[in-house]
Amino acid sequence: MSETAIQIRNMNKFFGTFHVLKNINLEVAASERIVICGPSGSGKSTLIRCINRLEEHQDGSINVLGTELDDNVSHIDQIRREVGMVFQHFNLFPHLTVLENCTLAPMLARKTPRGDAEAAAMRYLERVRIPEQAAKFPGELSGGQQQRVAIARALCMAPKILLFDEPTSALDPEMISEVLDVMVSLAKDGMTMICVTHEMGFARQVADRVIFMDKGEIVEEGAPADFFGAPRNERTRQFLNQILSH
Amino acid sequence: MSVDTLSPLPGRKQSLLSRLFSRPLDVVISVTVLLFAASVLWQLSKWAIIDAVWTSPDATSEVCRGVSGACWAVIDVRWRLIVFGLFPYEEQWRSSLACIVMVIVAILSCVPMFWTAIRLSALWIVGFSIFYALMAGGVLGLTPIAPDKWGGLTLTVFIYAAGMLIGMPMAIALALMRRATLPVIARTTGIIIDSVRSLPLITILFTAALVLPFVLPEWLLGDKIWRVILGFALFFAAYEAENIRSGIQALPSGQEEAARALGLTYWQRTSRIILPQALRNALPPTINQFVISFKETSLIVIIGFFDVMASGKAAYGSGEWSFAWVEVYVFVALIYFIFVFSLSRYGAYLERRLRVGQH
Ligand SMILES: Nc1ncnc2c1ncn2[C@@H]1O[C@H](COP(=O)(O)OP(=O)(O)OP(=O)(O)O)[C@@H](O)[C@H]1O
Ligand SMILES: [Mg+2]
Repeated sequence: MSETAIQIRNMNKFFGTFHVLKNINLEVAASERIVICGPSGSGKSTLIRCINRLEEHQDGSINVLGTELDDNVSHIDQIRREVGMVFQHFNLFPHLTVLENCTLAPMLARKTPRGDAEAAAMRYLERVRIPEQAAKFPGELSGGQQQRVAIARALCMAPKILLFDEPTSALDPEMISEVLDVMVSLAKDGMTMICVTHEMGFARQVADRVIFMDKGEIVEEGAPADFFGAPRNERTRQFLNQILSH
Repeated sequence: MSVDTLSPLPGRKQSLLSRLFSRPLDVVISVTVLLFAASVLWQLSKWAIIDAVWTSPDATSEVCRGVSGACWAVIDVRWRLIVFGLFPYEEQWRSSLACIVMVIVAILSCVPMFWTAIRLSALWIVGFSIFYALMAGGVLGLTPIAPDKWGGLTLTVFIYAAGMLIGMPMAIALALMRRATLPVIARTTGIIIDSVRSLPLITILFTAALVLPFVLPEWLLGDKIWRVILGFALFFAAYEAENIRSGIQALPSGQEEAARALGLTYWQRTSRIILPQALRNALPPTINQFVISFKETSLIVIIGFFDVMASGKAAYGSGEWSFAWVEVYVFVALIYFIFVFSLSRYGAYLERRLRVGQH
């Protein structure tokens, strides 16, 4: 058994009185690829945003790479440096060039010298196949290119875990595959990944485990073959029917 | 004579002509308006230029006796009073040099090379220190000159520059504190901002100049001029803080989240991600605030300071020149216009520059 990357135990999260996440238990091994799916409002985003403290959980424990996620600011900073995140709407910094977007965090949070940070940034921009855009501003790029920059920006921190929150759902159909290709290649290189996505082809191809959430609960989880071939839960079947029928 | 040979842009000129003179009624209206405008312009230039008296060889108002045009001689004779106030005559070179330093600093801040927070603040702090050293003296063998001797345009520039220099960081601090996660800080800041905004500037200046001496211990008091500058800065900061806050609120929440997810600390997020974008968003209302504040400096006369407006009044007030008040006010208005107009143009230039790379 390989080492544990993330361990979530009996975690509960409330927005005011609204119980968003109910008794979540989830263990993610290093290099494991997890896909989370489920209907809108089921708490998928909230779950992965709890992992890097963009949202605070109220009950239970979250342990990331051996660091307990509590109110200790240095623990939070430590975890955020090791966990990268890619957002649905890219969230690139529009006042900085593509290269500066990529070098900012390594230079500030990891104190990497500028030269090294820029060399690393160019390597990752090549990896997502847009090194020629380095000097441009995000507003001058297409959606697919922006999302690839966002992936490169996350990679520049050399994270051990990457979280994806519906990275392709704000993209035009013809740009989806360029982003998925990059994600597939990351998965092949052994990156620990948690992806919230409805791209079931991607899930079949790379996921070690697929998790289905509904109404703040993890309803079902399993290897893609079992999950898609023989879903046990009625809600899962309904959801898969809906999503695969179009 | 054809229109084409006259104008380098025949198309535009012809279309203007055809729009103004196409129908009989248009012709009548256009001619009337043009004639009226021409006559106003003629009267004005007759008064201001053609019939005007520019100098007075013997420094008295005799030359203007019986003249129908403007008597600019009053400016020729009294400009030192308007620009320098009561600053000692033989030291007035210091006052002019100080003003020149300020203008150089203002021009340098337009150069993109200085556009980092550190360089810009360094430039202004150095420039302002030189300005202050020149004016106040007491260093490098310069005779000390107390602030109550300062006056005229230099005093206006001093109070304005000092007020803005202190007010801008104060505004940023207030805007950030109003967004603090601790409710105590956020609410207290909100109350401070709203209270300052609900008071007229005059009240604040009065309090700073005349009431504080009764309340504060002597060692905390400082010179009256600094209390007034602080009051002025606070008033500016209360308004500007809200401009900056609106600039922050215009940012999508994803900006802050992405910065947090990358592991940046509060100060790193604020200084590198939030403020640069927020200040850019807040640029138009900020320029507005700067312009308003420049004109508000004229209120300091009420608490006994001799700013450019007051020294203008003194320039014509002394019997001999009392007929020439229009000329003096036109001159003072011109000074205000030059300052405020340059400020507006600078703002417009900044907006164009900063749009680069933004969609
Ligand atoms: N900041 C918030 N305050 C209050 N309620 C919230 C907040 N953020 C999310 N919620 C609620 O929590 C629930 C779960 O939201 P979440 O964004 O995690 O859903 P999701 O599964 O990611 O949905 P989607 O597929 O639409 O992105 C929703 O009912 C949502 O309305
Ligand atoms: Mg979501």
